[in-house]
Amino acid sequence: MTSATASLRHTLPHPLSLLALGTACLLALPLVYVCYLALTADPAIWFRLWTTRLPELLSNTAWLAASVAAGTFLLGVSLAWVVVRYDFPGRRMWEWALVLPLAMPTYVLAYVYSHVLGLGGPAEQILQTLAGPGARVMSPHSYAGATLVMILDTFPFVYLLTRAALLNFNVSFDEVARSCGASRLRRLLGVILPLLRPAIVAGLSLVILYVVSDFGAVSLLRYQTLTYAVYQQLTGRYDTGAASVLSILLVLFALLFLAAERWFRERSRFYQTSGRYRSLERRPCGTLGTTLITLYLSLVLGAAFLMPAWLLVRWSSSALLQGAVDARFFGFVWNSVLLSGLAATAAVLIGLPLAYLACRRPSRLHLLCLHTAYAGYVLPGPVAALALLVLFSQLAPWWYGTALVLVLAYVVHFLPAGLQSLEPALQQVNPNLEEAARSLGESPLRVLRRITLPLIKNGFLAAWVLMFLQSMKELPATLLLRPVGFDTLAVRVWLEASEEYYQLAAPSALLIVLLTLPALWLLVAKDWRAA
Amino acid sequence: MAPTKQDKTVRVKDAQGAAPSQRPTVLELRGVSCVYGKDRPAITDISLAAQEGEILCLLGPSGCGKTTTLRAIAGFESVSAGEISLGGRLVSSPGFRVPAEERRVGMVFQEYALFPHLQVAENVAFGLQHLSRDAQQAQVRHMLELVGLPDLARRYPHELSGGQQQRVALARALAQQPVILLLDEPFSNLDPDMAGKMRQDLHDLLRHTKTTTILVTHDHDEAFAMADRIAVLNDGRLEQMDTPEAIYHTPSTPFVADFVGQADFLPGTIEDGRVTTEIGEFPVHTAYRGGRNVVVMVRPDDVHIAPLVNATAYIQARLFHGSENLYTISLPSGRTVHSSEPSTTVYPVGTPVELQVIATHTVLFDRSRNHLPSS
Repeated sequence: MTSATASLRHTLPHPLSLLALGTACLLALPLVYVCYLALTADPAIWFRLWTTRLPELLSNTAWLAASVAAGTFLLGVSLAWVVVRYDFPGRRMWEWALVLPLAMPTYVLAYVYSHVLGLGGPAEQILQTLAGPGARVMSPHSYAGATLVMILDTFPFVYLLTRAALLNFNVSFDEVARSCGASRLRRLLGVILPLLRPAIVAGLSLVILYVVSDFGAVSLLRYQTLTYAVYQQLTGRYDTGAASVLSILLVLFALLFLAAERWFRERSRFYQTSGRYRSLERRPCGTLGTTLITLYLSLVLGAAFLMPAWLLVRWSSSALLQGAVDARFFGFVWNSVLLSGLAATAAVLIGLPLAYLACRRPSRLHLLCLHTAYAGYVLPGPVAALALLVLFSQLAPWWYGTALVLVLAYVVHFLPAGLQSLEPALQQVNPNLEEAARSLGESPLRVLRRITLPLIKNGFLAAWVLMFLQSMKELPATLLLRPVGFDTLAVRVWLEASEEYYQLAAPSALLIVLLTLPALWLLVAKDWRAA
Repeated sequence: MAPTKQDKTVRVKDAQGAAPSQRPTVLELRGVSCVYGKDRPAITDISLAAQEGEILCLLGPSGCGKTTTLRAIAGFESVSAGEISLGGRLVSSPGFRVPAEERRVGMVFQEYALFPHLQVAENVAFGLQHLSRDAQQAQVRHMLELVGLPDLARRYPHELSGGQQQRVALARALAQQPVILLLDEPFSNLDPDMAGKMRQDLHDLLRHTKTTTILVTHDHDEAFAMADRIAVLNDGRLEQMDTPEAIYHTPSTPFVADFVGQADFLPGTIEDGRVTTEIGEFPVHTAYRGGRNVVVMVRPDDVHIAPLVNATAYIQARLFHGSENLYTISLPSGRTVHSSEPSTTVYPVGTPVELQVIATHTVLFDRSRNHLPSS
């Protein structure tokens, strides 16, 4: 293999490496620039933020993250346990359905709940008929409201990872504990839960990463977190110094939990048996058990997906009757499709050489380029926007305010997600296949066209679709960077919802949810193991 | 007719110092059947017993029911018929099952199942919750010394080699001083060199601790090396239970004959107390009670060859195994037999040879009642 790699080294065009290096630098630039801005910011800004906003923002963000983590832990683990350990009618359908909440962008769920729980909303009406006219439900525009929405939106991360770990659980661990005389409770607390720990913690890290970088829900529910504050500094005060200081704190938060997620995922390798093993047995449920379980699952899925989806459909139909779905609406659809399509295509074209070089010629330089491309992961939307905003206004002001900046923001932000499906696709292509083609007299370029590309076509497509749909529902960077008057679906949802025009926001929101479903399927099906 | 089946059993008894029958019975299965799902039998009517300190091996191909038998003994499977007693106590019968956690069996799984989140010492101490902390530590230390890993107490399982993991699993199973030790294919995850060494060590350890052991394997060499007695299972039924020597030399069914080593089966006819076959005449064992048409089992180590110019048989192939040469001999009828010759005895393929069969005991199967393994 080494000799073949060596021969490739002479024949592959050297400029490819340079190109990779160039794109990597471009991708890393926003992160580097934000750090630079923050570190060179006037100490007075640090001091002012520290004495005014920062304590509140930090504690708000931390509390939200902590309570959402606690809630998703309870929901995610209990749901995974129910669908893996018990057998009841409809189990397979539920196993899939519990992933659906991921199709709801946080701003859509937040806007639905700010109506449902809002003043004079359905929840309040129901409560008042039950408990008298003085009764009030909790306000959605609060810590509790933000927590509820974020829990309902993110519990599938914990559910998915815990479910996978439970399915991979080797029953021998349980049996050997039994032969050591351990009771059921001791086996649960001493063996099963500890063995699920890496998966659960990895899921929780994803949840926290998501919560910390979320903009949609907290902005609509007006709950002050770091991400929201970055946006406010940029739009309200146009204070890039303060925004960059807040941003670097966000980046640190994100890095911390991303590292935690990686570390625990890696660790969970030790916790799984390779090769042949038997899984845990399912316990069949009686009528009472089935009823209780179905009630619980319906409640969770109803709150997180079915009820919001039903409201969106109802609102959309009345908006349709009012004539809200007009040429202007289709203009927004076109804007969304155009931007996302450009971003996804650009990202795939940029990502492919990076992934290819890192996979086939894993030199230190190529690996570094690939890792740099993952920098977007720790850049929450507003932060990426901030970096590009300042960069372009200083270096290339004539491009500032064009769609190009926005497309670039999408690429930086979502390339990591695309690389995650490009990389494995390439790794699965056995290099021997390419070498066999070479030995049959094909040139490297023709091998790429005739062997490699056809084999990675699916991963390539999946990456494109994922990045397209992620860009489609992106909100904060779009809000900050869009050309004047150039609204997308996501922006429309947010703008209408901010003004509490629930029905007008519905068609765009519904379309986004429907379009997100295939992306969800792509994401989940990759690691899905039927039980 | 030198050593008969009877003689061999006596010899094994002598080697152990006391006859198994004089020691108390630890495990007894009486007509045990288990079913998977509805009416799909996993094992049918298995009866066997193990005496204290005995190493009993369940041998058979995959899917023969040996692991099911082991799991029924451990308490992980229910029995649909029959009874299991452990240490004189009834533990399983149809509709009744003492749970595994109350049986005090030590079990070592094929993949060891060491708890990955616990250190070696914590793994070994897992079944010792009823003891004081000091007693636990002392027992853990003692067990780790016994398996030869006194220095690895603070390691995590993924930091150990396969052989070390197996020793820890063994220490964990033995720490609670189980009534019986159950081993499920303990060597299948080790490379062959390692497995050979572990086999010897384990045998010594079990003898030293006088642990009653049931070992499940599909490898007859492993069974021969480890077991006092072997129970051969096929298709959920017990085919034969005997000493390793008896299993090899006097198998009771063609399946056993074929499963525990290379065997050729030649048709023959009984006349006047002798059986005539293509390769010669053999005495008929007085215990044989079948029809006239039989097959004779011949093992390669019973057949010797010598080149002879006018011979009707010839060498079809030679396989060099290092310590022996295995010849395939083609007979005039077109059938083949195998012959094991010393490593240095090399004849070219095609050489006409004369056969000398040195059978100390003739193994016959009634042709009308036995389905022969195809070979």
